Amino acid sequence: MMDFKKDFPLLCHRPDLIYFDNAATSQKPQAVLEAERQFYETRNSNIHRGPNFLAEEATVAYEGARKTVADFIGAAKPHEVIFTRNATESINLVARSFGETLGQGDEIVLTKLEHHSNIVPWLQLKERRGVTVRFLEVTPEGEIVMDESAFTKKTKLLAITGMSNALGTIPDLRPFITAAHRVGAKVLVDASQLAVHSPIDMQALGCDFLAFTGHKLYGPTGIGVLYGKEALLEAMPPFLGGGDMIEEVFLDHFTPAGLPNKFEAGTPNIAGAVGLKAAIEYIESIGRDVIHKTESDLTEYLLKKLSALPCLTLVGPKTSKNRGPIVSFTMKGVHPHDVAEGLSQKQICIRGGHHCCQPLMDELKIPGTARISLAFYNTSQEIDRCVEALQETYNYFT
Amino acid sequence: MDIYAQNVLDRYKTPFHKDKSIKPDLTHHEANHSCGDEAEVHLKLNGKKVKAYSWTGVGCAISMASADMLGDLVVDMPLTDVLKLTKKDIYDMLGIEISLRRSKCALLSLLALQNGILLSKKKEKRSWVDYHL
Repeated sequence: MMDFKKDFPLLCHRPDLIYFDNAATSQKPQAVLEAERQFYETRNSNIHRGPNFLAEEATVAYEGARKTVADFIGAAKPHEVIFTRNATESINLVARSFGETLGQGDEIVLTKLEHHSNIVPWLQLKERRGVTVRFLEVTPEGEIVMDESAFTKKTKLLAITGMSNALGTIPDLRPFITAAHRVGAKVLVDASQLAVHSPIDMQALGCDFLAFTGHKLYGPTGIGVLYGKEALLEAMPPFLGGGDMIEEVFLDHFTPAGLPNKFEAGTPNIAGAVGLKAAIEYIESIGRDVIHKTESDLTEYLLKKLSALPCLTLVGPKTSKNRGPIVSFTMKGVHPHDVAEGLSQKQICIRGGHHCCQPLMDELKIPGTARISLAFYNTSQEIDRCVEALQETYNYFT
Repeated sequence: MDIYAQNVLDRYKTPFHKDKSIKPDLTHHEANHSCGDEAEVHLKLNGKKVKAYSWTGVGCAISMASADMLGDLVVDMPLTDVLKLTKKDIYDMLGIEISLRRSKCALLSLLALQNGILLSKKKEKRSWVDYHL
């Protein structure tokens, strides 16, 4: 197996650490750290406005990052890519901007698999504009249940996850996108986890909005992406107001800028965008197929080892089919927090709790799960060590 | 596993005060939604003192042990003294090092207890910031 750890300074500085919390955030390759540092050391300036050579260099760097992201997701035009702070802000942008056109009688369809970031903005929209919010059901295996009757001419938007951060399920989005489009509704896909583990082609996927975040994709924190179809973004009112998103400002009104600037108010995370570009280039240099194979093999191995522990129960999908390298489980008689603490004492980082999916945990009738989320730099030896530690933790508490 | 001293583990596995029927005068529930711990405390009063204590809840070992050990601390204590209990008193009671990430677990039952008393006196509830976390 290839040693990817050598590319990640934190993993080199802390060789005893077993980092199994990649769904929360990823570690950063040297290439990303170097790109950000290089930007600040050689090209730092504010972008877009400055009529000087350094501002132009910074602008080229930032817009170059936008082009890289657009190519990464198969967007038809770079200005369909809006930089935000994170996926949460991307979804909020749609809820606040596209949402302004909605009101009483309009419906938003979500699923019970969603992360709070793809639930709360819609509940806020309900409070603000009186829309109805409906939820598609989820099975104990973590599959979203198709319900055609949820999609009517009142439905204006389906917001759905591309991959569950809690259970690892990768739903087949096609029937849901088809059902939504059939009634004239738009579709937003929360690709925060999906973008990390699966290539995305907006032309093939066909959804109207896509949100993901840089820090889960081996990039820096503070940079996220909203993709929106050009015609939709053009019709939507601005989100945040201020510098850069305007054409003209008068004492009593303003005119907004064109895309993408309309949705990028104020100085953005320029270095973060440069870092995200480097992250995308890094994973493409390894090859998405290599990454996918490594992650699949590790997930298969992890599932096999966890299934062999009688004290554990897997939650969500039980096989490697239609799922990513995220595995949730419960331990008999031991709270997920204690499972995570027990592993933490042995230098293994996992997460325990509801994973920002309280409605999902309520539906599954559990307070939370322990969650292992892998990346391509993890190893089967780490999985072995983790499984030993899980058994030790169980023995300790019971 | 250093952070779980034997007494904490014992009280988690074999609580003294959990689910005891005491016909309470005062009940209050608090939850830590970020990790899924919940504690409900029940007090039977004798004038302005705690006569009996019981609790129920679900959560991690530290939150549950803390809820149980709190009963040892507060029985026969005047309510005014219960309101003066601090984070340090709870950490000393537990006798183990409480890291920042487990502080709410350790303090959840104290929050429930103190808020139950404050609400019964029609005073404002406390929140996590009041424990300087």
